[in-house]
Amino acid sequence: MTAAIQTEKLTKTYGAHRGIIDVELTVDEGEIFGFLGPNGAGKTTTIRTLLDLIRPTSGRALIFGIDTTADPVAVHRRVGYLPGEFALYDRLTGRQTIDYFANLRGGVDGAYQASLIERFDLDPTRRFKEYSKGNKQKVGLVIALQHRPHLLILDEPTSGLDPLMQQTFFELLRETAADGRTAFLSSHILSEAEKTCHRVAIIREGRLVMVDRVEALRDLAHHQVELRFSGPVPTSAFEALPGVSEVVSEDHVLRMRVSGAMTPIVQAAARYELLDFVSREPSLEETFLAQYSRGAGDGGDRGG
Amino acid sequence: MVAIEVAEVGLRVRLYGLGSVYGKTIRDSRLAVLLVALLTAGLVSVAGAATSAAFATPEARRELAALATTLPALFQGFYGRPLALETLGGIIEWRYPVILFLIAPVWSIVALSATLASEARRGSLELVLVTPATRRRVALEKVGGHLTMVALIALVVAVATWFTGAAFATLPGDAISVQAAFAFGLLTGLLILVPGAIAFALAPLLGRGMAAGIAAALMVVAYLVNGFQSAISGVAVFTPLSWYTWVDDHIPLAGRYDWASLVPLALLAAVLLAVGVVAFDRRDVGSTVPFRSPHMPRSLVGLRGPISRSFSERLPVAMTWGIGIGLYALVLATSSQSLADAIHQNPVLDELMRNLFPTLDYASPGGVLQLVFLEFAFLVFGFAAVTIVAGWASDETSGRLELLLSTPRTRARWAIESGLGAYLSIVVLALVVAAGIAIGAVAVGGDAITPALGMLAPAVFTAALAGVGFAVGGLLRASWAAPAVAFVTLATFLIDLFVPALKLPDSLHELALSTHLGRPMVGEWDIPGMLLCLGIAAAGLAVGAWGMARRDLRS
Repeated sequence: MTAAIQTEKLTKTYGAHRGIIDVELTVDEGEIFGFLGPNGAGKTTTIRTLLDLIRPTSGRALIFGIDTTADPVAVHRRVGYLPGEFALYDRLTGRQTIDYFANLRGGVDGAYQASLIERFDLDPTRRFKEYSKGNKQKVGLVIALQHRPHLLILDEPTSGLDPLMQQTFFELLRETAADGRTAFLSSHILSEAEKTCHRVAIIREGRLVMVDRVEALRDLAHHQVELRFSGPVPTSAFEALPGVSEVVSEDHVLRMRVSGAMTPIVQAAARYELLDFVSREPSLEETFLAQYSRGAGDGGDRGG
Repeated sequence: MVAIEVAEVGLRVRLYGLGSVYGKTIRDSRLAVLLVALLTAGLVSVAGAATSAAFATPEARRELAALATTLPALFQGFYGRPLALETLGGIIEWRYPVILFLIAPVWSIVALSATLASEARRGSLELVLVTPATRRRVALEKVGGHLTMVALIALVVAVATWFTGAAFATLPGDAISVQAAFAFGLLTGLLILVPGAIAFALAPLLGRGMAAGIAAALMVVAYLVNGFQSAISGVAVFTPLSWYTWVDDHIPLAGRYDWASLVPLALLAAVLLAVGVVAFDRRDVGSTVPFRSPHMPRSLVGLRGPISRSFSERLPVAMTWGIGIGLYALVLATSSQSLADAIHQNPVLDELMRNLFPTLDYASPGGVLQLVFLEFAFLVFGFAAVTIVAGWASDETSGRLELLLSTPRTRARWAIESGLGAYLSIVVLALVVAAGIAIGAVAVGGDAITPALGMLAPAVFTAALAGVGFAVGGLLRASWAAPAVAFVTLATFLIDLFVPALKLPDSLHELALSTHLGRPMVGEWDIPGMLLCLGIAAAGLAVGAWGMARRDLRS
């Protein structure tokens, strides 16, 4: 099966400034794929390169097997796109704006377009300049979705949407995947990716740090362990244990990060009078931060 | 308790830099002010050099004075008052006020309309206003920064004027005193400030674009009312409203001072600035008076594709320019008979005109427009091209081009189609002006078709300028397209103005595209020149499309 997105050592630099470096990524058809990273990590640069809006310095990107620089029109025919920031025509109404993009594409199903407008609760009679940020985002989403593209590429799609509309959007994403279509969305809101994505990638300073299933990513995280004792306990009793790091003592409480088995911790703690033992499962956010704080070369599977 | 050490903001960065709103205003406007100062000071110096080269003898000066004072009022509309034309200063202030008093203020309009309104629109103002500074103080610091820069420009003009007198004096009386130079600089500064103050007062109510448009229109109308009050019947009624008329007797380079006339000018600016500050202080940030422009008919909205969309987006701008220029052309065309009468009543002038323009019927609407309108038309059509090309570029600079190009359409095709839409808007601009000319010509029983067809020349000239913009925008970056057109427009105007006066080689004069378009208002066409313009327009679009297909998008 041809991958929906495949990049091969995709690199984009802006003179001396870093953009993205050797990004290797494969997104399969039917996947909802989250592209995570903090501001300035290279998410938008990657997306713009995928769409041939900017050209790679080296490497290449393929969308459904088509080299994005060789035949961008063929790529665009199959893609729906929402930029991270955009401004449209101030004087056009929402309806006119949506119609214009439908005309540029051709073959848009009017009933489906109308259903999207209804589901997003968008008043299409108002001029674009009169819309709030959230309503502008809804117009952008309708434009991206209305032609039922094979691949959705969405840059920060929930930006400005209220929680109800976010829910509507995630429903639409799930319907997209159920149809066998693909969605690639960038975000820095990790709970979004956690709820909807099949797989996620983390990009850090222009390099891909990790690509994996959401569950696997969480498994990789260090647990946060908190031990409460009746009296003072030396940190040295735990620091040397396998998988333990960042041991901090505060009054009679020890906090540490633990990877791997808990048995050595339990055995060491049993030598003192232990009042409480808390091991917290990490959120994806903590995983993300942990991955982000590690060196790029330490990451797990690359290229997914 | 931990003592928190707060770093003091130094005086230097408060005055210039990021230490205060005032300092940042100065810092942000440095490049624009440098350009305006160079333009105004350069103009005065080149005008001095051109005058001393062209009128080096007392006889030449006397002939010029005789011509200037016998010219019908219609010809003098864009000039200053012809006083002391036997001196360098008198000639400069008579011949070249348009750039100093009509073009330089455009900077002030743009800057003062944007200083609060643009920041409010993009949201940065809200961050400024949540710092411990009152709204009034923020507005006052912005105004203070602008006033400082206007004062700087006035000082540069004063120094350049004094220097011009010292460097290019060829006859007795040519030297320009420090007092005259200072008075001229002050006048220039105030005339730059007033239109900007109008825009500043209106911006909190109407938003940046409308405030700037109204201020610019009022400035042009005020200038024309003053210049054409004796040439066009009915205009004189409005002269008390024109601030150019208030200072009509203050001509320092001709040795005439009316210091008192500057007071109302300064007061007007102060009141308008105060209105702007108070309006900003009292109104919601970024909230403008709801002004619903009429919806465009669906057939004109242009949703079928990039050509119709681009055309539709540029249409209001083209129509606005067209109506403004067309009304002016209409008034000139209807004045042709009175001009002919004025010339025939003066035998000396009649003979002079026949000698200067042996084949031109200066009593016909076309002849009048050829003499007093076409040069102006090339300049304002050029400015229209700047706004049309800026609109074309906004697809990319606003970021919407990313969405447009994510549809199945090549970049080259988009560039060509949106460019064609812009060219169509130029056709509309020319048609509207031609309609104004035709109505004026018919009203006085003259030939309407020839001068109306003459608008083809400014139209192809404008298309060529737009083509340059498309080429620069497509090849390099979109945000450079409009400045490139502005540069070519001004360069063309200045070449046309100064190269003959400085007696420089004709080959240099021929660099101005406008010199290759014949005398179209009287039906004398320069076909190769027209084809050259069309060729530049087509090539510019092709180069732009080629460049666009090869570079990264910027937004």
